[in-house]
Amino acid sequence: MRGRAVDLAVALFVLICTLPVVGLFVTSFRDKDQIAASGWWTAFSPVEETRAFRLPDRGEETGVLLGATLTGSVLAGDGRVTGFGITPRAPVAFAPGEVARFSGGGTVTVSADGAFSVSDRSGHAGGRRIYYGARLSPRLTLGNYVTVLGAEGLGRSFLNSAAVAIPSTVIPAVIACFAAYALAWMRFPGRALLVSAVVVLMAVPLQMALIPLLTLYNSAGQAFGFEAKSYVGLWLAHTGFGLPLAIFILRNAMSALPGAMIEAARMDGAGDFVIFSRVVLPLTLPALAGFAVFQFIWTWNDLLVALVFLGPQDDTLVLTGRLLNLLGSHGGDWQLLAAGAFVSIAAPLCVFFALQRYLVRGLLAGVSR
Amino acid sequence: MMTRLTCAVALMAAMSAPAVAENLIFAPDEDARFDWAGYEAFAASHRLEGERLSIFGPWRGQDRALFENVLAYFRAATGVEAVYASSENYEQQIVIDTQAGSPPDIAILPQPGLIRELAARGFLSPLGAETAGWLRENYAAGESWVGLGSATGPDGITALYALPYRSDLKSLVWYVPDNFADAGYVVPETMEDLKSLTERIAAEGASPWCIGLGSGGATGWPATDWVEEMVLRTQPVEVYDRWVTNALRFDDPAIVAAIEDFGWFARDHAFVDGGATAVATTDFRDSAAGLFAVPPKCYLMHQASFIASFFPEGVELGRDADFFYFPPYADTDLGRPVLGSGTLATITRDGRAARAFIDWLKTPIAHELWMAQTGFLTGFKGANPGAYANETLRRQGEILLNATTFRFDGSDLMPGWIGTGAFWTGMIDYVGGKPAAEVARAIQAEWDNGE
Repeated sequence: MRGRAVDLAVALFVLICTLPVVGLFVTSFRDKDQIAASGWWTAFSPVEETRAFRLPDRGEETGVLLGATLTGSVLAGDGRVTGFGITPRAPVAFAPGEVARFSGGGTVTVSADGAFSVSDRSGHAGGRRIYYGARLSPRLTLGNYVTVLGAEGLGRSFLNSAAVAIPSTVIPAVIACFAAYALAWMRFPGRALLVSAVVVLMAVPLQMALIPLLTLYNSAGQAFGFEAKSYVGLWLAHTGFGLPLAIFILRNAMSALPGAMIEAARMDGAGDFVIFSRVVLPLTLPALAGFAVFQFIWTWNDLLVALVFLGPQDDTLVLTGRLLNLLGSHGGDWQLLAAGAFVSIAAPLCVFFALQRYLVRGLLAGVSR
Repeated sequence: MMTRLTCAVALMAAMSAPAVAENLIFAPDEDARFDWAGYEAFAASHRLEGERLSIFGPWRGQDRALFENVLAYFRAATGVEAVYASSENYEQQIVIDTQAGSPPDIAILPQPGLIRELAARGFLSPLGAETAGWLRENYAAGESWVGLGSATGPDGITALYALPYRSDLKSLVWYVPDNFADAGYVVPETMEDLKSLTERIAAEGASPWCIGLGSGGATGWPATDWVEEMVLRTQPVEVYDRWVTNALRFDDPAIVAAIEDFGWFARDHAFVDGGATAVATTDFRDSAAGLFAVPPKCYLMHQASFIASFFPEGVELGRDADFFYFPPYADTDLGRPVLGSGTLATITRDGRAARAFIDWLKTPIAHELWMAQTGFLTGFKGANPGAYANETLRRQGEILLNATTFRFDGSDLMPGWIGTGAFWTGMIDYVGGKPAAEVARAIQAEWDNGE
C-alpha cells in the first residue's frame, strides 16, 4: 500500500517536471501566430478559426472584365468552411452556399470547401474583405528548426561553446582533485579554516568579480602585450567560479573513505601521491563525474561570463548568445526560442547520459557527511 | 573613375575581411533615391585602409541584418574593417566594458540617461562643436536633439556626446481601415474626438482599445508612454522637461492629472479588450493580435512604430493596418507634440575610424540605405523621404519632420531606478486599482530615496 503511494507520488513529480519540457517541445513546432493565438495543448486538435480574406483587386487580375465572375478559394490548405459573412462584426452570418449581397452592389458566395465566387457588375467588390469561419486541421511546422539551424554562424558558435565548456570543466576538476585530497587527508595547520573559507566562497555571487577581473586582464594584457579577451581568460574565470563547489564536493567524497584503508596504504610505504592516484582517486570518480556534469551544463548554458570575458563579436559568440540574438531587438520572435532551446540542449544531454550512472552516486557521496 | 575606385575598394575590403561577406544591396550609382554624390565625396575624404572599428549596439535579429547592410557601404567607402556586435544585456555590458577599460570604439545606445552617466564618468569623447551645430541645423526639432545628446563631462563642461541615428515614433494609434469603414468610424483629429469615438465604440457593445503592458521583466513600460503622451498634451513642454529631471515633483497635480487621463482609457472595463484587469497581464506583443481578430477584439491600439513587426504574418501596412497621429486636445494650444525614442551613437574610444563613422552618420546615404530597407525613421532633414521603403514609413517620417516639439521617451531620461523601475511598477499598481495620487507619491518617495 505504502509502496504504491510512493510510486504515485514519484509519477506525479515526474509528470510535473517533464510537462513544461513537453510543452516547449510541442511549441517548437508551431508558428508565431499559432503561439500567440492558443496554447500548445491545442496543437493536435482541429482549430475553429474566424478569419478575413481579401478579394483580389480587379486591377490585379489581368483578363478579368468588369461584370465577370471572380472565383478562387479562401483556404490555403486543408479545412472546411463553416460559415461566412461580409462584415467583421457578423463574420459567419451566412451558411456555406448562401448568397450574400454587398451594400454597394455585387454578390458573393462561399462553399464549404472554401471556393468563393463573386459576381459584381459595379466593380465595387474588388479588394474588399470577406470573412469566414473554418475548421482547420492541425498544422505543425519544422520552420523554426530550419531558421535556427540555418542561422548564420550557428556551427561556429557551437564550436565556440565547446571550446569554452570543455576546458572550463577539465581545469577546475583537475585542480579540485588535488586540493580536495590535501584538505581531506593531509595534516597541516589551518586546514579546517581553509575548508570553511572554501565553503564561504560558494556564497559569493560571481557578478561581483566581473569588473575587477576584467580590469585585471586589461592591465595585464597591456603590460605583457596579449589580448585581454581570450579563451584562456574565460577558462580561468570559469575555473575560479567553479572551484569552491568542486573542492567542496570532492573533499566530502574523499573524507568519507575509510581511514583504515589510507593508513594501510601508508603502512605499505605509499607516499601521498601514490595514495591519491591509486587509492583515493578511483574511489571518488563518481563524485568527480557528478561535478563534471554540473560544471559542463553551467558553462555551456552560461551567457553573462562568456559575453564579458570573450565579447559579443561574431567570431567568438557562444551558442547561447547566438540563439538570443535570433530573437530580435524586441525579443518577440520567441517561437525560435523553443526550437533554439532544443538545439542547445543537445550537447549537455549527451554529457548527461554518458555520465548519468555516476551522477546520483556522486551527489550522494557529496552529501553523506 | 570614382565609381571604379569605389568598386575596387569594395573588392579590396572583401578580400581583406574574408569573414564578412561584402554585399552592397543597392548597386552604387544606379538607384536615384540615394545620394551617391555625397557617398563618393565621403569615400574620397575618408580613406582609412587597414584601420579597425568595433561597434556595439542594441540591434539584433532582423534589425542587425539591416544595419550590417548599411555598414557594408561604410566599409567599402573607407576601407575600415568595421565589426558590429550586440548582446541582449547591452546596458550592463557597456558599463562593464567601459569601466574595466576594454570598450568598443563606438557604442550605440537607446538610453540618454545611460549616456549621461557614462559621459559624467569620462568614458565618452565629446563629438565637438561642429557636430553640435550640424545637428541643430539639419535635424527637425534640432535643438531638442542637441539637448538630448548633451551631457556634462568629468571636467564639468557640457558638450554634445551623442548623435541620433534611427528613431522610433511613439505617438501613433493603430487601427484596421476595413473595420473602421464597416462600422462607419472616422479617424479622429482631436483628443476630444478620440474620446467620443471610444465612447461610441463601447456604446455599440465592442471594446475600443487593446492595451497590453506585459513585457517580461520590463512589464509596465507601455503605460509610461501613455502618461508621457498625456503630459505633453495637457501641459507645456517645459513641464515635461522639469518632470523628467524631477525639478517638478512626480506627485505634482499636473502629473497626477496626466496619469488619470491615461486611466480614463485603461481603467474603464468597457474601454479595454478583456476589461481593465487584463491590461497588466496581456503582453504588449500579443495585444496587437486583437486588432486583427475576426470579429475585432478592439479597434484602436496606441503603440510605437516598431509594433508593426509584431503584426500577424501577411498583414500589409497601409491596407490591412494603418495608423494616425495620437491627437492633441483641441482646447489647448500646445502644438503637435511628438513622443519618440531612438538610438544615439557615442564614441567610447576615440580614433580616426571612430570619427569617420560619426561623419558617416551625418551623410544622407547612411540614413537612406536603411530607410529603403524598412524599420528605420529619421529626423534628418537632408535624407530623401523618397527613399522610404513604403508609404506607411514615409508618413511616419513626415510626422517626425513636422513635429513642433520632439520629446524623448521620459522613462529613458529618468534615472534607471525610476524610469525602468518604480515608474513601471507604479503603473502596474495604478491599472490594478491604486489611486493615481498614491502611486505618484510612492514613485516620488523612491526618487527621494535615491538608488
